[in-house]
Amino acid sequence: MTNGSRETLITREMAAAVGKTYRLATSFPIAVSDIRRWAVAVYYPSPPPRRFWDEEYAKSTRWGGIVAPEEFNPFAWMRATPRPGETFPDLWPEPHLGIEPPATCANILVELTTSSTGIGMRPGDVVTSSLSLKNYSEHTGRLGLMLFTTTEEKLTNQVGALVRTYIHTFIRYGERDERLYTRYAGRTA
Amino acid sequence: MVDRPAIAAGMQLPPFSREGTYHHWNRFAAANYEYAEHHMDDEYARREGFERAIGMAPLMSAYMHCMLREWIGLDDATIESVRIRLRAPFLRGTTLTAGGVVKDVLHEGDGRVRVHLDLWADSDPNTRLLEGSATVVRVE
Repeated sequence: MTNGSRETLITREMAAAVGKTYRLATSFPIAVSDIRRWAVAVYYPSPPPRRFWDEEYAKSTRWGGIVAPEEFNPFAWMRATPRPGETFPDLWPEPHLGIEPPATCANILVELTTSSTGIGMRPGDVVTSSLSLKNYSEHTGRLGLMLFTTTEEKLTNQVGALVRTYIHTFIRYGERDERLYTRYAGRTA
Repeated sequence: MVDRPAIAAGMQLPPFSREGTYHHWNRFAAANYEYAEHHMDDEYARREGFERAIGMAPLMSAYMHCMLREWIGLDDATIESVRIRLRAPFLRGTTLTAGGVVKDVLHEGDGRVRVHLDLWADSDPNTRLLEGSATVVRVE
């Protein structure tokens, strides 16, 4: 598509959507096993620190119990809301906003910032996520014209305290891939 | 774990290494529900312009968190932020080696010490996978 003299992947509708919140979600209550499995995975092949899986030991620390690692994802596998099938996958903002997404073949996460307030996530916590479209930009490189999409996600706990903020930037490029399009936009050509 | 009074600008973190194998990535995929084909399938990754399957950015961020926790300790410190920007794909069969250096140490007067760091990770042969920064806070 063209926009003046320059080919672009950013439509007027996409540009107008910057700043909008496009997805709200809540987690199931965090289980001790969720935290344990996360810790096992990120520390593999080393055993994870006891603070993340030994409840009796964790009680003896200043934290008074198990607190998840700062990068722990409470939404892995399934959310409490939206229920499966009720919305699009998170990655592409456009389907959530009723906008035609650009026709590309790949999504690659290239920048990730995780900021934590120090409150932490504990077993039993229910986390709410608010996901917003922060910015679009473009760059031409080895992979051709690349669309950079930046999103911001705020996580709060069941008493409304901000626990964490994510800033993600991912790139899309290449020719339209139908499998990807169906997965993220729920439609085929 | 670092000797706390010794934290000063210029201090290098001990390196943190992890191999890029399906053994590592499948475990993280199971924890984070992250099964995109370019992490799991060499042929699919080649279709996207990569030599073979690539590691997950959230896992690379998690490795930065692990390195920081091993350095600062878990007893009285938290990681306030980690930022990473990928420079090259973490290809299957290579090894990620992460490092960091203390840039600044701020004593905040209430028993809190805020430490700012630069981070990076390389793979063999000496390819820079990511650059970034972090802030950790030690509490008394």
